[in-house]
Amino acid sequence: MLNKGSLSRLKVISFYTAKEAIKSKVLVNTILLGFALLVFTYIAYSFTYGEPSRVALDFGLGTLSLSSVFIAIFMGAGLITDELKNRTVYIIISRPVKRSVFILGKILGLSSVLIINILILSAITLSLYFGVGGAYESLISWAILFIAIEAILMLLIVSLLSLVTSKVLSVILSIMIYIVGHSIDGVKVLTFIKMRPSLGALLDLYQYILPGFYKLNLKQHLLYDQGVGSSYLYSTLLYGVLYGLAIICLSMYLFERKNLD
Amino acid sequence: MLKLHNITKIFNSELFSQPFTALRDVSFEVEPGKIVGFLGANGSGKTTSLKIAMDFIRPTSGHVEFDKSLGKNKTDILSQIGFLPERPFFYPHLKGRDFCFYMGKLLNLSNNEISEKIKYWAPRFKIDFALDREINTYSKGMLQRIGFLVTLIHDPAFIILDEPLSGLDPIGRKELKDIILEVNKIGKTVFFSSHIVSDVEEVCDNVIFLKDGSLYYEGSVDKIITENVKPISNIRYKDESGFKSIQVKNSKKNTEIQRLIQQNFEIISIEHDKPTLEEIIYNVK
Repeated sequence: MLNKGSLSRLKVISFYTAKEAIKSKVLVNTILLGFALLVFTYIAYSFTYGEPSRVALDFGLGTLSLSSVFIAIFMGAGLITDELKNRTVYIIISRPVKRSVFILGKILGLSSVLIINILILSAITLSLYFGVGGAYESLISWAILFIAIEAILMLLIVSLLSLVTSKVLSVILSIMIYIVGHSIDGVKVLTFIKMRPSLGALLDLYQYILPGFYKLNLKQHLLYDQGVGSSYLYSTLLYGVLYGLAIICLSMYLFERKNLD
Repeated sequence: MLKLHNITKIFNSELFSQPFTALRDVSFEVEPGKIVGFLGANGSGKTTSLKIAMDFIRPTSGHVEFDKSLGKNKTDILSQIGFLPERPFFYPHLKGRDFCFYMGKLLNLSNNEISEKIKYWAPRFKIDFALDREINTYSKGMLQRIGFLVTLIHDPAFIILDEPLSGLDPIGRKELKDIILEVNKIGKTVFFSSHIVSDVEEVCDNVIFLKDGSLYYEGSVDKIITENVKPISNIRYKDESGFKSIQVKNSKKNTEIQRLIQQNFEIISIEHDKPTLEEIIYNVK
């Protein structure tokens, strides 16, 4: 448990981490993407017959998901490595700041920047969607929430990997985990895998350890009006939150023991 | 204030490379109220020792002990320490003032207290003009100055500086050395590493000298100089053709002076051949 002093330092680190990230013009990417989204949606709207609101939603959620994951990987890879390179970590943890508080503060600060990015792009996406006649569905909010969870999980994964490998390797491994996490469910139903039970067992084991991002992808359900039960939504939400907490605990444990040389 | 007990540090960073011993059974003490210089060539183990003292890296064996006056637990102790790492870069997109507030708030200082400290120290470090600029526009010397400011912002009892004078011009070095002397006068203990021996000699009471990862000397600056004084005197005198100088053994000094006086030469000065700390250090190298 964090005491009052640690909690106040956690807030300070989160605030200045977010401030530094925002001032580093990471959100310029968001604004550019927002503009591109407007242009693409207009073009798609002009050339689409029948379902322009679905096209706007498809473009919007796709851009939102990819840009959030891109920003998460970009920021998460430097979370500790840049601190060590610039020696800023030394100046922080030479103050009465626990290592666990430092890393948690950094994660919270960067997560808040990710959430700002998601809120801006979501607002643009929804304005376009409603602007071309789309109707509100509660699944849209769930889809945006799951995109935010996916991006935060990617941030946590890349920062965890950067604690044990180099910055470049952590980015490459994270992208691989992202791709596999989205495709593993589809791969499992292939005849090639079904005919090889040992390979299937290996994929099952993978799913127990590494994140199944496919669970967080509600876009297909939303675009093709496939209903999703509330038990699936809540259990997936719980899965995402628990998985995130587990990675945070592991990161704190590793950082506590890491030689900062 | 700080004691390192039998510290050994072996790095096993590369998979197939030989382990590298950075420190071998190093023990030393930084006494309260003193300015202590930490000398040694590049790679001698100074920064590794400081990182171990600050718990950034763990020693292979040995332990670190801080004076009980600094506090009982790690949080209390760190609240009383001001640490400045070597060649800091800080957060490039924050303004200097933001960075000062960041560091101050980590030490639970109020906004007023931080503003007061900035008002006092920023002009002293000649960084006040740049506080509202982003840190990525700062020169190396300016980074060092803002680093000093945040190191002193919470009025620490023990100040640890890793190569604080590198990157500064001679005027900047003089100003910062004056501040080191000033804070020491009001009771602060200062421990700083440097490879600029003359700076250490100028301001330090004690010196700790590492060579190839081992402790070579620990003690007062005066003592090491006295121990290395040669029994030779330099006599400067003036004859018809102008100023001249001779070196004589101390045992023959009086005889030589008498000879010069008898020849009606004017004695200008008689000095013991006192080496500088730099000369002593270079000799041991």
